[in-house]
Amino acid sequence: MNHRMRSLHRSMGAAIALFVLLLSITGILLNHSNDFKLDKHYLTWPWLLKHYGVGNVQADTVYSLDKFVISQFGSEIFVDAKPVTSVQRPLLGGVALDEIMVLATDDALILLNSDGEFIERMGAAAGVPPMIQNIGLFHGNPVIQTREGMWRSDFMLDKWEEISLQGIGWSVPSLMPDSIQNELVNYFHGEGVTVEHFLLDVHNGRILGSLGVWLLDLLGILLTFLSLTGIWMWLRRIR
Amino acid sequence: MNRTHNAFWQLMFISLLFCSFTVTVFARGVNQTNEEFIAETFSNDLPKSKVVWIKDDLRPAIANILGHEYAGLRIRYWQQAGRTAWILDEIGKESPITFGVVVTDGKIEQIKVLAYRESRGGEIQQRAFTRQYADAKLSEQKLDRHIDGISGATLSVRAMTSVVTLALYLTQFINK
Repeated sequence: MNHRMRSLHRSMGAAIALFVLLLSITGILLNHSNDFKLDKHYLTWPWLLKHYGVGNVQADTVYSLDKFVISQFGSEIFVDAKPVTSVQRPLLGGVALDEIMVLATDDALILLNSDGEFIERMGAAAGVPPMIQNIGLFHGNPVIQTREGMWRSDFMLDKWEEISLQGIGWSVPSLMPDSIQNELVNYFHGEGVTVEHFLLDVHNGRILGSLGVWLLDLLGILLTFLSLTGIWMWLRRIR
Repeated sequence: MNRTHNAFWQLMFISLLFCSFTVTVFARGVNQTNEEFIAETFSNDLPKSKVVWIKDDLRPAIANILGHEYAGLRIRYWQQAGRTAWILDEIGKESPITFGVVVTDGKIEQIKVLAYRESRGGEIQQRAFTRQYADAKLSEQKLDRHIDGISGATLSVRAMTSVVTLALYLTQFINK
């Protein structure tokens, strides 16, 4: 019996030795996180960034207006690589007027000034026709196509007259220039993942997602058995 | 035994009903569109909207109320017969909450959450909470009263208090 217990104790010890070593090292490092300034050092390994879901920087939609590149990432609107406002609906297009840029979603117009700063969002309560499908220009004036017709306004955008015109320059999506894409990648990745964050996730198993948490649970159970078998053998010996 | 069994299931059923009701009340989403809020406020007799530009001394004053710079260059409002309606967005924790505020005679007539997008803190949408702001006034750029918080909704409560203060301040500003 004692021989079988000793054999089990040794096998479990060998199986979990590497994990215990990993936990000990990461634990000691995390204990001295401030001393080692682990929260100030960053990791930028591509596989790690991808693992944390920050590897893919792909705009939902891109429009070139005036001298700016307007893009949407989820609910955030960017002018070049700078976030300027958030919207809850997809961008459908944009036009540049004399002193402002006008972006359209299906329920509102988003106004930016010529420096790319956010002015305001104008919806139906501000007189903008609802159910917008696209935005374009006709002789310098903004035109929107809605489900119920075509409407034209001026730079004030607060009065809209229903029209039926040909030859409107509708807004079309464009490609993201490489230079802006690189800036956006820097924006989203920031400086990377802190060493502290990475070590903490290794230590608590979350680096492997929910599987890692279960693995650590298993490790905890094995350690409990290891302790119990160790105590049992020790008690047998002193008797 | 059978009676106990029935009572247990009745209790479970009532608990489930209560839970589903609670979830409905605190749910995320759009409660009322901006247009519906303005139409309701002015009984469909819509006044033309106006804008206040955030510049000069107004910008730091607003930043002082919100605790951060206002993300926009102008704010739209609707005014008629001494009543002023504002639609303002403010971030609770991570997502913007859209508030509709009506100010009458320098006091809060109504505060409503038009769209709630946060995952927690939706309790601020309840009338039992928003009625604390009824008739609130400005006193040295702050509300004239203490607002009782909600456990777990601290940031949403803070956002609503900031927006109410801002609406009162802006109304005072445009009526100068």
